[in-house]
Amino acid sequence: MSELLIRGARKAYGATLALRRGDLHLLPGEVHVLIGSNGSGKSTLCKIVAGSVKPDAGEVLLDGKPVTIAGPQAARALGIGIFYQELSLAARRTVAENIYLPALPVKSGVFVDRATLEEKARRVIADFADVAGEGFSADTPVETLRADQRQLVEIMKALATEAPVLIFDEPTSALDRAQVDRFFEILRRLKGEGRAIIFISHRMDEIFAIGDRVTVIRDGETVATSRIAETDQATIIHQMVGEREELATPSVAPAVHATSRATVLSVQDFSGPGFRNVGFEVAKGEILGFGGLHGQGQSSVMRAIFGALPHQAGSITLNGKAHAMRSPREAIAAGCAYVSGDRRRDGILQGRPLLENLTPIHFLRNRLMLARPSRLRERALKPLQALKTKFQALEQPINSLSGGNQQKIVIARWLIDRPDVLLLDDPTKGIDLAAKTDLFALIRELAAEGMGIVLYSSEDAELLNNADRILVFNSGSVTRELTGADRTRYNLYHAAYEAA
Amino acid sequence: MQQIASSSSAAREGGLKSVLQRFPFVPALIILVALVALNGFFEPRSLSFGSITGLVSTYLALMLLAVAQTYVVYAGDIDLSVGAIVSLVNVVIIVLMEKWGGGGLTVLAACLVGVLTGIACGVVNGIMIAGLRLQAIVATFATSIFFTGLALYVLPVAGTPAPEAYWLTYGGTYFGIPFVFYVVAAVALVLGILARMRLSTQLLAVGDDAMAAFQSGLPVTLIRIKGYVLCGLFSALAALCVTGDTASGDPLVGGKMTLYSVAAVVLGGSALSGGAGTVTGSVIGALIIGLINSLVFFVGTPSEWQNLVQGLAILIALMAGVLVSRGARA
Repeated sequence: MSELLIRGARKAYGATLALRRGDLHLLPGEVHVLIGSNGSGKSTLCKIVAGSVKPDAGEVLLDGKPVTIAGPQAARALGIGIFYQELSLAARRTVAENIYLPALPVKSGVFVDRATLEEKARRVIADFADVAGEGFSADTPVETLRADQRQLVEIMKALATEAPVLIFDEPTSALDRAQVDRFFEILRRLKGEGRAIIFISHRMDEIFAIGDRVTVIRDGETVATSRIAETDQATIIHQMVGEREELATPSVAPAVHATSRATVLSVQDFSGPGFRNVGFEVAKGEILGFGGLHGQGQSSVMRAIFGALPHQAGSITLNGKAHAMRSPREAIAAGCAYVSGDRRRDGILQGRPLLENLTPIHFLRNRLMLARPSRLRERALKPLQALKTKFQALEQPINSLSGGNQQKIVIARWLIDRPDVLLLDDPTKGIDLAAKTDLFALIRELAAEGMGIVLYSSEDAELLNNADRILVFNSGSVTRELTGADRTRYNLYHAAYEAA
Repeated sequence: MQQIASSSSAAREGGLKSVLQRFPFVPALIILVALVALNGFFEPRSLSFGSITGLVSTYLALMLLAVAQTYVVYAGDIDLSVGAIVSLVNVVIIVLMEKWGGGGLTVLAACLVGVLTGIACGVVNGIMIAGLRLQAIVATFATSIFFTGLALYVLPVAGTPAPEAYWLTYGGTYFGIPFVFYVVAAVALVLGILARMRLSTQLLAVGDDAMAAFQSGLPVTLIRIKGYVLCGLFSALAALCVTGDTASGDPLVGGKMTLYSVAAVVLGGSALSGGAGTVTGSVIGALIIGLINSLVFFVGTPSEWQNLVQGLAILIALMAGVLVSRGARA
């Protein structure tokens, strides 16, 4: 039973003020939702509680007593466990080792107690056994797991601390519906045991499904705390957005008639790792949605079209010309663009300046060997402005931007030279609502200019609001196509949950 | 039950792959067997007990040095000062044994001081790299020059002989078994214990992703320092073997061994980026280098070509290792 009170927490990274005045009052036996747009400081607040970031000012009170959390170890000693948004797993260690990495059981003073380790890990895994999927066991190396399975390991690691205060920073971003449901069941059980739980998510439905109270953070300041039962989505969004412009309403019924336009991308009998016999056409100006549960082959199809994954059979025709797409280089030359939600893996060049992050595609498509920096900067700035990217200088390293702005840089990279087809692979993962709105407005604009767009999103609302047509994936195949008035949540869920 | 079933079916699916995952040194072992066979083909006598004893006593130092290097490589670090530590410990014990008279007890005392010297070097390296966050390659390059300097101060000129009691013991035979095999058995026992200790897992976790390990609450700095301390300890043990083999003091004796130890670690299937590897692999890697050297000799390579052939052979061994593991993954 722990009560946690944070008052006036403040943290600056160099000139950037990540957290101005963070307040949080966490009670035992509640799921306390922390919400705020990206870069608003909620992750920083969590890291302060977890000890991995030292605040510049402010106080932390645990059960009424002021405490200093010197580091992750100190946090553990105080009974605080955290799930990290950026995964904290050792890829080559096994699931069991990772779950108990902070406190490996030891016997006879020196040896790692393998038997106890496996036994304890099995007990934690058992909670998720039926939703974890294939190839998940205590002795599996983490690197062989899928993204959702890794996220489960991370959740188990947090649960295994058995800490009275648990922090979950976007624990569900890679999970499918069944896994989320199971996780929520466990959260409710923990809540019943009197644990205090901080929960961060960008998914409104989850927040209302699991939260007891919600604290909104905007621009590094705690704005409001209210009971979930006494608030609603519009109020929360309003608190997040503050005095800023009203959010644009999503385009509910995009009025593009695909049939009347020329086909820009045609994929036939496409099979490869994780998908089989996928076929579809994308018309100029159309946004084609890929839907369904997470990890049903949507991502793999896009990566295979882009040449980042090999395909075994099928044909890809772009602008009437067949392409083998053996490598991303070939796909880029043919006019394909790919933006992934996994920015750290597929998008950004870590630690490099914005300009370098913006220009590689420009260099490749124009076969540039040399370029005048002033010309390059001018070209790079244009798409950045169109995307309303927040940055100080083109020379600053990309890591200094928030996730949403990093993603805008990655997208801007493709817009210096317009591609014909834009593949968006869950592009809004970990991006705040305002940035999402900007992004979808831009995507619609690009489509209107004649680009063919394929969009996969793990958020059903994004798909329903933005795609002209939706192909529902199930176990690697397209099981249903939703067009026009059929594009409803009910139809989407129905097709996605159907046994394939 | 479900867990057990699923893990065993995974093992059946990717036979070689799962073997490699568990024993990443298997390709090295294959290369080792091939080299033993080649040695036996070109010089049948090389497979005799005496020759193998000779091989082990010559390359025991490199095996230990490869082990030393493995512990820092586990954590994603590297130590380019291991050779210099060998030199320093070598001259320290030689000088002490000479000064103290060379009796049985003084030899042991000198060895103890030597081991402590190696540990001290490891602590220095660890504090430089993990504590002060200097770049491992450059910092240990600098400390290697520093340690060599110390060695030259302790013994400016090579040549002081080791007392008889020392090298006779190292080269001797007890109960019909050469002394070096007792050393091998003792080292194997220590390595077995170390492999089961929490520190090994922690070093590997740090090497896998230092940030992840930090966020998991591991004392990353301390773990990396411990890695360097282990490295210093095993470098000192390697120096004891070098001294037994050469029976003399030489302030530059270890210099050339440094990169051989790195090569042995890589040949043994460990990743220089950290997080994956085995000490067994490194020992095999050191033996591969030893066998390549003796093979070059047995084949009768003219002396001016020996370096070239040796370099090519190591390259081929590296390529073979990569090909085997790639074949398994496909």
